[in-house]
Amino acid sequence: MRAYVIRRLIGLPVMLFLMSLLLFLLLFIRPGNAALAVVGGFNESAREKDFEHQLGLDRPWYVQYFDWAGHAITGDLGKSLKPPRKSVAGQIRERIGNTVEIGLLTISISSLVGIAVGIISAVKRNSWLDYLLRVSTIAGISIPNFWTATLLLTLPAIWWSWTPLAPEFVSFTENPIKNLGIMIWPALVLSISSSAYVARIVRSSMLETLYSDHVRTARAKGLQERVVVIQHVFRNSLITLITVIGLQLGTILGGSVIAEQIFAIPGLGLLTYDAVLTLDYILVLGTVMVFALMFLLINIGVDILYTVVDPRIRY
Amino acid sequence: MTAQAASPTLDFEYVMSPRRRFAWLTRFIRQQPLGVIGVVFIAIVVFCAIAAPLITNKDPQGFSSDVLQSPSGDHWFGTTREGKDVFARVVYGARVSLRVGLATVVVSIIGGTALALLAGFLRGVVDILLSRAAEILIAFPAILFALTLRTSIGKDVPELGWLGLSKGEVLVILAICVLYTPLIFRIMRGSVLEQRGAQYVEAARVVGASEFRIMLRHILPNLAGLMIIVTSTSLPAAILTESSLSFLGVGVEPGTPSWGADLSGKAREFFVRAPWIAIFPGLALSVSVLAFNLVGDSLRDTLDPRLRGRL
Repeated sequence: MRAYVIRRLIGLPVMLFLMSLLLFLLLFIRPGNAALAVVGGFNESAREKDFEHQLGLDRPWYVQYFDWAGHAITGDLGKSLKPPRKSVAGQIRERIGNTVEIGLLTISISSLVGIAVGIISAVKRNSWLDYLLRVSTIAGISIPNFWTATLLLTLPAIWWSWTPLAPEFVSFTENPIKNLGIMIWPALVLSISSSAYVARIVRSSMLETLYSDHVRTARAKGLQERVVVIQHVFRNSLITLITVIGLQLGTILGGSVIAEQIFAIPGLGLLTYDAVLTLDYILVLGTVMVFALMFLLINIGVDILYTVVDPRIRY
Repeated sequence: MTAQAASPTLDFEYVMSPRRRFAWLTRFIRQQPLGVIGVVFIAIVVFCAIAAPLITNKDPQGFSSDVLQSPSGDHWFGTTREGKDVFARVVYGARVSLRVGLATVVVSIIGGTALALLAGFLRGVVDILLSRAAEILIAFPAILFALTLRTSIGKDVPELGWLGLSKGEVLVILAICVLYTPLIFRIMRGSVLEQRGAQYVEAARVVGASEFRIMLRHILPNLAGLMIIVTSTSLPAAILTESSLSFLGVGVEPGTPSWGADLSGKAREFFVRAPWIAIFPGLALSVSVLAFNLVGDSLRDTLDPRLRGRL
């Protein structure tokens, strides 16, 4: 087990290296853009060249990459191309908390709702309730989150002149209650589709075990239906459930770009979005790689959780 | 080899009468009423995309002085702040969604399957390299990666006019394909490896079929079911991704009627005054994606109940 964790952690830097190299090549394939963006669109080739030199963008790509990577190992992700050229790591540190908070809120809500809905749906399979829940979960994964978010901002404003949009952002450390009052809305919007996914997986994997021999035995020895459902059926779905929740957490982190943009929350998603639009490549590289790192760590965590849930799995 | 020695699956295939061949279709209609509803809605969306000029005589891009009109007999879904007819934009918007969705799915299914066959047959270094590459691409957060790709691929992509695709559409399709091909590759590779060990492949090999022939004539047809299922799940997902990118302002060309783009940008300031601008494009998008998902779900249940919930 420990050997496995160590092996996975050794694989991590390799993945990060390859991913960052790919991303770097994608972003830097046309170096002129970045300098042009800083100059501000004026096509003054002299000034552009000057800026390119200042930013080190006139060096060959491999020199630039290894320069970046060498610093990245020490936690220095370089400086934004845009003035005032703030440190990338600093900007990420400022904002990552908000994105993680939305992610955790969303995954908590969707696990609770999704598991409950999934269990009810499976136990009452083929009833009108199951039918209704199934249609709602398909609808849940079909309706785009930016539309629900838009409706959430628009309709209450028309009906009750109320908007979930806070006049100004308050961080968790400043005022936790006020902060949760802001963060709950993007989390609710994002949890519609993830709870629907979770519910669908719980339902289908429970249906697989609901008719198996050990469940029949459990019933035969007179266990309460509740105990049978939770301990004998639901427990068997945990593996699939953990996989889905892990994958959903990745999706939610990525989806934060939309939620943060709509609800004006200063998180990592919004930072990345702004960086992409302003062609601030160094910043994009840093933020996307931090997202990738979170995603990879979640995957490793999921694999380790497997062994906890199912002792039969050994690595 | 005598007839008796043939495997039961082969028997089934030859004995099946033409009427039985469509048994799954009648079963589908009887057992999956939701799937049928989905098919009806898809038909409506496809009809809108093809026959848009017949459905509405208004120009989706045409400015007019009737700004922010609420829905009326003249403007069924109202007008935007530029006086564009929302109904016309919703109807024409079906075109972008379907074109991008279909193109993405066709390219990534063909690409993913071809690579999976290569990996499954050449194995060794090729398999390792392809699997690794897929792993790397999958580990990027999807929307963010698409956003980065869409903006960095550059503007020098060809305009595929003969396919009716504009430059913006080609860029979006490319970006989404980079996301979907590795995912599809991974699913298909698993299936190729599974099929490779099957008895019928061994039998074909014994008879002297070349590896290439086994791949194309024996394994590929057996992937068809999975391909249909993957198509039905990735098509709605691709439509959602296109609209998300358009919503973020990096989708198709500005001004093009696209359900995602119509919900973004300057228009947002007018939603409270004119909610119909926000409601109808989003509704059209949701209903279309829902219809595809309903059909996909039902198809999966009908074709391969074992896959329920796994994709």
